[in-house]
Amino acid sequence: MRRPSSGAAASSRGGGASEFELVCRLECVQGLVDALTSIKWKKQQDAICELSEHGMLIVVEESSCLQGKVYFRKELFKEYQYHANVRPRFGVSLTTLVDCLNTFASTAGTTALELRYPGTDMELILRLTDESRMCTDAEIRTRIPDSVPYDFSIDDDDANEPPVSFAVKSSALKDAFEDLEWPGSSIQIALNPEPPVVTFRGEGHGDLQIDFFYDSQTDLFIAFQCDRAASFWYKYKFLRATTANIPGSILKDNRGSKLTIDNRGLLKVQHIISIRQTAAQVQQNQDSSLDGRMTDQSSRISYVEFYVLPDEEPVDVN
Amino acid sequence: MKFKAAFTDRGVNILEKRFVPAFEKIGKTCHVYLTRDHVILLHNVLNSDGVQAIAQLAKDAIFDDYRISSQNNDCIAFQVDLSLLLRALRSSVAMDGDKLQVKLVKKRASLTEKSMPFLTFESKGYRSAILQDVPISPPLSRADVADLQAALDAVQDLPPTLVGLPDLVALQALVERLKAVGEVLDVGLTQAGDLFLRVITAFVSIGTQFRHLRVLGIRGAAAPVDDTVEGSARLQRALEQGEASVVKVNMKHFVRSLQCHLTKPDACYCGVAPGNACLLMMFQYFAPGTRLTDDSISLQYRLPVLEQDD
Repeated sequence: MRRPSSGAAASSRGGGASEFELVCRLECVQGLVDALTSIKWKKQQDAICELSEHGMLIVVEESSCLQGKVYFRKELFKEYQYHANVRPRFGVSLTTLVDCLNTFASTAGTTALELRYPGTDMELILRLTDESRMCTDAEIRTRIPDSVPYDFSIDDDDANEPPVSFAVKSSALKDAFEDLEWPGSSIQIALNPEPPVVTFRGEGHGDLQIDFFYDSQTDLFIAFQCDRAASFWYKYKFLRATTANIPGSILKDNRGSKLTIDNRGLLKVQHIISIRQTAAQVQQNQDSSLDGRMTDQSSRISYVEFYVLPDEEPVDVN
Repeated sequence: MKFKAAFTDRGVNILEKRFVPAFEKIGKTCHVYLTRDHVILLHNVLNSDGVQAIAQLAKDAIFDDYRISSQNNDCIAFQVDLSLLLRALRSSVAMDGDKLQVKLVKKRASLTEKSMPFLTFESKGYRSAILQDVPISPPLSRADVADLQAALDAVQDLPPTLVGLPDLVALQALVERLKAVGEVLDVGLTQAGDLFLRVITAFVSIGTQFRHLRVLGIRGAAAPVDDTVEGSARLQRALEQGEASVVKVNMKHFVRSLQCHLTKPDACYCGVAPGNACLLMMFQYFAPGTRLTDDSISLQYRLPVLEQDD
């Protein structure tokens, strides 16, 4: 069976963990799969992966107008050994990465998936050996990234013009964006403090407006922070990408999604997701630590973030 | 040319719940080959491409009253649509009659039309009876029947080494995921009882190794490869010792073949035919209530091997 020449070499030096810039072990493979699936809006998609002493960041961009980010903190790993002097950054096919991790998720029992970087050909090496002595391994080719991902950020503490934000149940947000497919094209998101309301409006093949009233739909809202009226337009396909691929399991958890808009119209959509464990892993963790469950709950949360640049306001031809 | 038989309860169950659904998953039609002693289902054996499947069932495992006669040494073969056959079997079982009979008939819709062959299922109950006619192809010629027989004879040519497959449900879950990565699957088997499944594309090489599986036939004569040696190196060493085979197969064929779990096999083995002619999957069934192999039922899948690209 032909394998990339690097495979055997990488395997043989596996004993010396320090030769790798990163060696980590992850129990909740399905959690990583769910998070990465959320930022995969195209069939074939490339991502940039950045490793640091704090964790793993995976970024996906489109036309510099839409950016998706998954940040896996080191606390989510069972073991995280980082040895690099300079933060390694590499490009990888997100589609391939998700497909491979999915394969590991199907075989993972109570055993942790081991990730190592880099192999001799700078590949990402994944390996999982379970109790029944079944062993699954993968070597994923990486590439030198063409560009550095733009560092979008919204300053929550801006004293002059603080950003407006609201948080709702993820499933409600997804439903609203799906309904807005009918008018398509550009979508207006408007927040008003008096009365407190969030309005989504689309114009195109007909008009459609969806209002979330903060006062009357209290079960829908988790938070609402708005001290002034704000209104910006966004391309529908970008908005849709922020919720289209959230796995059903995340929607079921209903952790919520937070939308923040700064004074320039930069939109941040943040989904809070629980990193699920298999029943066997939960049992194992409970057995190994009496207060394991409490520690688990607090550390098993991750974020999926999207940044969307505003679109130009459509001109009314009438 | 005559054929008439009455199903046993177990026989109906074997066909309706197990073998016909499994065959339906790999193709729309199959050949039914009836001899004095056996009922044989053959899928795709007269074509060279695609998965071939052969199920051989002793007549006593299916029927308790079996009459067959033909000028071709009491052999009859025809092609049947599997979904129609399954539907007829299911509704016959649902009727819960006392007796289910099947016979070969020729009928014509009207006087002007040519008569057509049918397999007629007759389910008789206390108050009612149901007749179902399943259309079949005209009986196969002597030459075609000889081809079927040749395919059947080839079933006896087993690979020198057969390696037991791991739990089919877990294997199916794994292969379903691997299917998303690539269309070609490398299957490696060693005489030490290792099974390697690997997908290699331009972006990734991903695979799984199962160790310490049961081995039938020739076992590694030389000292077994050290257990601590890792996956690909272990396979490479076994290949150098002439104790392993690696073939490439179509991923879809492999996935489809794993639908064999519908037949509820008690043991599954996999081997590479001599000269890498095909990847063979062989299934064994235990006699009810025992752990002894039931020789009256057998099933084999043959997966075509893709050309090696090295």
